[in-house]
Amino acid sequence: MKLSEALSVIQRAPVDARPFPVLLACGFSPLHLENYLAAHLQAVLPDRKVRILTGLYDDLAGTLEQFDPANAQAAAIVIEWSDLDPRLGYRKLGGWGERVAANILETVEATLSRLEIAISRIPVSLKVALSLPALPLTPAFHTSGWQASGAEIALRELVAGFARRLIAHPSVLVLNEQRLNERSKPDERYDLRADLHAGFPYTLKHADALGEALAALIVPPQPKKGLITDLDDTLWLGLVGEEGHDGVAWDLASHAQLHGLYQQMLGALADQGVLIAIASKNAPEVAERALARPDLIVAREKIYPVEVHWDAKSGSVERILKTWNIGADSVVFVDDNRMELEEVRAAFPETECILFPKADYAAGLTMLRRLRDLFGKPKLADEDAYRLESIKQNRHLADVTGNGDLAEHFLASAEASIGLEFDPPATDRRVVELVNKTNQFNLNGVRYTDAEWQQSLQNPDCFVAVVTYQDKFGPLGKIAVLRGKRTADRIRIDTWVMSCRAFSRRIEYQCLSQLFQRFGAQEMSFDFISTPKNGPARDFLSALAGEPAAALTREAFTAKCPKLYQKVIQKHGQ
Amino acid sequence: MDNKEAKLIKVFQTVFPDMHPEKISAASQESVPGWDSVAAITLMNVIEEEFETQLDFDKAADLTSFQEILGYLREVQPNVAQL
Repeated sequence: MKLSEALSVIQRAPVDARPFPVLLACGFSPLHLENYLAAHLQAVLPDRKVRILTGLYDDLAGTLEQFDPANAQAAAIVIEWSDLDPRLGYRKLGGWGERVAANILETVEATLSRLEIAISRIPVSLKVALSLPALPLTPAFHTSGWQASGAEIALRELVAGFARRLIAHPSVLVLNEQRLNERSKPDERYDLRADLHAGFPYTLKHADALGEALAALIVPPQPKKGLITDLDDTLWLGLVGEEGHDGVAWDLASHAQLHGLYQQMLGALADQGVLIAIASKNAPEVAERALARPDLIVAREKIYPVEVHWDAKSGSVERILKTWNIGADSVVFVDDNRMELEEVRAAFPETECILFPKADYAAGLTMLRRLRDLFGKPKLADEDAYRLESIKQNRHLADVTGNGDLAEHFLASAEASIGLEFDPPATDRRVVELVNKTNQFNLNGVRYTDAEWQQSLQNPDCFVAVVTYQDKFGPLGKIAVLRGKRTADRIRIDTWVMSCRAFSRRIEYQCLSQLFQRFGAQEMSFDFISTPKNGPARDFLSALAGEPAAALTREAFTAKCPKLYQKVIQKHGQ
Repeated sequence: MDNKEAKLIKVFQTVFPDMHPEKISAASQESVPGWDSVAAITLMNVIEEEFETQLDFDKAADLTSFQEILGYLREVQPNVAQL
């Protein structure tokens, strides 16, 4: 992005929009990094007005120590070598060479400790994007440029240890140096002229790349939830219908390693909770024999459902989406056949369709890295491991739904229990994550940053309830969040989301029942706003109260509430 | 107005979006409240980008009006004055 484009993006921000203040903490003059960070954030937050707060020049630690977290939604912390010791920059003349190397290391260690304490004190509700020193070290060391000196290695070791400790902090996200290197070549980052004249050490190109990367850490794209893959010449090399289940390959010796790597990637994605399904045109019994091979790298039980037949793949995708109960925009479809990709794309334009590049190794590597970007999550949660099992359970439930007696028996014998935790600690980031990523059973679609969510809880009448669920088939983890205010004998719910994995278990009824009982309320109202996707929430509320935004009396709820079988365990978090 | 002047007006509009377009050609550090040291550096960097040139920062610090900047650009880029 050119600087003029960045300025234009900032100027086009809606004037009256809700502000999105972000601290940019750096020891140098923020200048164009401020512009680029604002522009990249504004581009992904078109309904907000991004505002960058800056701190003290030449005092990064002081900026962090004086920072009031209540003023910002997030923080971008950019450390350069000169922040750790001015002798590692070009604006001070404190000496270079072996004579001062040991003293520089001592200073760097002490400064990193100070920074670590300051960063650790930032509340967990505030997302922190941390960029480690990215400029080349000055020629301050006794070795020639192609030989690493002990001091340089020790400096990098100190920074790596600092980052390793901070990454355990729930809200700190460290910028990946490898990705930054791809977007901005290390030897094209430093601008001596701008550093000496304006105190700004970066070239515009690097400021752009760094601003973009920091914005991606602060407002990451929603990770995709599922991947639907073809089989022949995709999951494996060869046509299983022609070569037989022993004839297809995914190993190095058969020149099929790219397929093996793809399977390995699918296995890793499945382990982190990504749903994997198959859509293939084949004879099902032949494909199943190949999928049953013990050397398959992605575990067979991690793949569900499997659509293998000769019908159109768009139909397969439609059924898979229904089974998973997620939107087409949450999945990726991978196939080696362009025609199949186009057929699926035409039916589901929101789905990302990726061509599996059979013989193009460079494109294959690009694809594997693209998959990491599409499915990457900032931190893993326990719930990620439960996703596939809960979908398989839902399938059991779907099989009996429609038959009233069977469904009732299923629910009655499920040995279900619901945990209701009121006012959970701020460290529980799954709460806001669930609010922000749930589309279908979502009262109004309003999204929050961690900081906004925590600020809204300051009202003493406000409560938050986090719902966990498990039954004899296993746990679903945290599956619902409700937030509301109580006044006298009324409750007003302004946030209510429930994971689609938890549908058809009457959990929504139990939630309302528990709230009526806990607060002795006689009436409940809902801040319902219709969104393109929240039909399930609308239908549920309409069935109870006539229309989704109507007040619901306890009497009316009791009359319409079906029998509830779950055991309920209440807990108070704070 | 030549293309160079039109291009410089566009640069000023980008850096000083609140300035009335008709007043740009008479703009100076004294007449534009937002023309501080940060804006001056931003202006120089946007000019460098848009005119694909590198300015002499020591000299550029003395360029305190639209007309002075235009004159400087015509001086350092005479061959592309009519692009």
